[in-house]
Amino acid sequence: MRAMAVAALALVFAAVLTLTVGVREGGFALLWQALTAFDPTDPAHIAIHSIRMPRLIAGLIAGAALGMAGTIMQAITRNPLADPGILGINAGAAFAVVIGSLIAGRADNGLMAALAFPGAAAAAVAVFALGGGLKGDAGPVRLTLAGVALSAMLLSFVSAIILARNEALEVFRFWVTGSLAQAGMRPLGYMAVAAVFGSALAIAIAPRIEALSLGSALARGLGTNPGRIQFGALVAVTALTGAAVGVAGPVAFLGLLVPRLARRVGGHVLRRELIASAILGAAILLFADTIGRLVTPPAEIRVGTMTALIGAPMFIWMARRLRAGAGA
Amino acid sequence: MTVKMNAKMTAGIRGGLVLAAALLLAIVLSLMIGQIRLSVSDLWTGLLTGKGPGALTLRVLRGPGVVTAIGAGAALGASGAIFQILLRNPLAAPDVMGFTSGAGLAVVCGVLAGTTLPMPLLSAAGGLAAACAVAILAIKRDGTQVPITLILVGLGIGFLTTAGNSFIVTRLPPEQAAEAQRWLTGSLAARDWGHAAQVFGCGAVLAVILAIQVRALGLLELGDDLANGLGLRSNRARLQLAGTGVLLAATGVAVAGPVPFIALMAGPLGMRVTGATQPGGRIISAAVTGAIITVLADLAARSIVPGLQLPAGVMTGIFGAPYLLWLLSREMDAGDI
Repeated sequence: MRAMAVAALALVFAAVLTLTVGVREGGFALLWQALTAFDPTDPAHIAIHSIRMPRLIAGLIAGAALGMAGTIMQAITRNPLADPGILGINAGAAFAVVIGSLIAGRADNGLMAALAFPGAAAAAVAVFALGGGLKGDAGPVRLTLAGVALSAMLLSFVSAIILARNEALEVFRFWVTGSLAQAGMRPLGYMAVAAVFGSALAIAIAPRIEALSLGSALARGLGTNPGRIQFGALVAVTALTGAAVGVAGPVAFLGLLVPRLARRVGGHVLRRELIASAILGAAILLFADTIGRLVTPPAEIRVGTMTALIGAPMFIWMARRLRAGAGA
Repeated sequence: MTVKMNAKMTAGIRGGLVLAAALLLAIVLSLMIGQIRLSVSDLWTGLLTGKGPGALTLRVLRGPGVVTAIGAGAALGASGAIFQILLRNPLAAPDVMGFTSGAGLAVVCGVLAGTTLPMPLLSAAGGLAAACAVAILAIKRDGTQVPITLILVGLGIGFLTTAGNSFIVTRLPPEQAAEAQRWLTGSLAARDWGHAAQVFGCGAVLAVILAIQVRALGLLELGDDLANGLGLRSNRARLQLAGTGVLLAATGVAVAGPVPFIALMAGPLGMRVTGATQPGGRIISAAVTGAIITVLADLAARSIVPGLQLPAGVMTGIFGAPYLLWLLSREMDAGDI
C-alpha cells in the first residue's frame, strides 16, 4: 500500500511538472493563479490552459493506457517482452488512422482517430497468429520478431503516405514515434472514454486472467472459459492501445517498462498490478515528456523517442535474461 | 558423382544467368523510367554516341544513382550472407541486428559535428561499435553466445540507435531535419559519381579481403572442432569475417543510408535462384540479388507517386517486412526458433 502511495505521489509530482515546466518559465505560483483565477489576457495563463493542460491529459490517458495494456499483454501471453509498441499493435492503430485520412482526403482529427481501434485489434490478432499463437506456441522470441516485422512494415507504409502527402515533419513525428506536442488537436474526450472502458474491462477480467495463467485445464475447472477471457483481454488491449495512439501516436516501450515495476508495487495481484501500471505508466510518460522538453530547448524531444531511449536498454537486458529454451 | 556435380553446376550457372539477366533488366528499367520516360533506343544512342536525352540521363540524371544503388545493394547483400552463414540463422542480418542503424547514427553525428572525416570511415566506426555492443551484450552469464540472443540483443541495439537518430533529428532546423530523416530511412536520391566511385572502391577492397577469408568461412561451416582440426583458429577467423561483414554493410550505408531489409532478404533469395551451397557462391548470389533489390526499390520509390521522390528505404520496409514474417513462420515450422 505504501508503494502505491509513493507511486501516486510521483504521478502528482509529474503532473505538476508538466504544467509548470516549459519554454515560458512558470513556477508554481503562476500555475495556481492560472487554475484558480484564469486571466484570458495573460499569455502565460493561456499557455497553461491551451497547451500544457491538453498535454497533461493526453499524457495521463496514453501513459495509463499503455502501462495497463502492457501488463495485460504480459499476463496473457506470459511474455516479458510484450509491449503494444514492440508487438506492432501501436503501428496497426497508427496505420489505420493514417490510411483512413488518406482515403477520406482529410486531416486525421476527430472521428478519424476512431479507426485506431479496428487497426489495433487487427494488428493484435495478426501478430498473435503470425507469432504462432494459433498453434499454441507463441514464445517470446517468435512474438517479438513477428511484432517487429509487422511494426516495420506498417510504419513504412505510414512514412510513405505522410511523405507522399508532403505533410509537415511534425505530423511524421507524431505518427511514427509518438508525441504529446500537439495534444490540443487530438480528440482527448473520446479517447478518455475508450481508455476508461478498457481499464474497467481489464480490471474486471483480471482474476480470470490469473486463473488462466495456471493453465487452461485448471482454469476450466475453476469455471473460466479461456477463449472468452482471451477475447476480453483482446478487447481491453485494443481499447487501451487505440486510445493511447489516438492521443499520443505510437509511443513504444512504455508497456515493457511499466509491468515489471507494477509487479513490485502491486505485489503479484493482477488487479493491483493493473492499477499500479496505470499510475506508473502515466507518471513515467509525463516525466519522460518533461525531460524531453528540458534537454534541448527550444526544440523538444518527442516523448516516443524518450521512452525508446529508456526502453531499449531495458529490452536488451530482458532479452539477455530469456532462457535459451524459453519459447525460443 | 561427376554427373551429379555437373547437373548441380549447370543449375548453378543457369541460376547465375537468371540473376544477371534480372539485374540487367532492373538497371535498364531504372534508367528508362522517371520524370522523362526514355526508350531503350534512346539509352542505346546515348551510350554509343554520348548525345541526346539518353546520354544526359546516363551521365547525370539517373546513371550515378543506379550505379550507386548496385554497389550499395551488393555490399549489403554480401554482408547479410556472411552473417547468415556465420551464425547459421537466416534472421542474422546486419540490418536486423542494428549494425546498419548504428552506422547511420555515426554518419549523422559526424556530419552534424562538422567533421571532415569521410563518410565511409564514420559509417564503419558506427557499424563496428554497434556490432561490438551486440557481441558483448549477448554473452550470457555462463559465457556462451547463442544466435537468437545475438539477434534479440541486436534488435535492442537497433531500437536504441533508432531512438538516438530521432533524438538528433529533433534538434535540427526543419529543412535539415527532413533531409536527415530521408537519409536515415535509406535513400538513393541525388547521388553523384563520387558516391558510386566510393562504394565501388571500398567494396572492391573488401571483396579482395573476403575472397581470402572465404575458405575459413567454409571450414567454420563444418563446425568448430573440425575446423580447428584442419588448422583454423576458429574464433579469430570468426572475428575477422564478422569484421569484413560489418565493414561491407557500413560501405553500403555510407552511400545509401541504413536501407532496411536488403541484407536480410538478399542471401536467401539469391540462394533460392542459384541453388548455391558453398559460402563463396552464396555470397556472390546474395550480392547480385542485393543489387537487384536495391535498384528496384529505388525505382519503385521514385516512380510510385508521380512527381515525388520517396526514400528507397520505405519500399524495402514495405516489402522486406512481409518477407521477415514469412521467414519466421517457416523457421517456426522447422522448429529452429
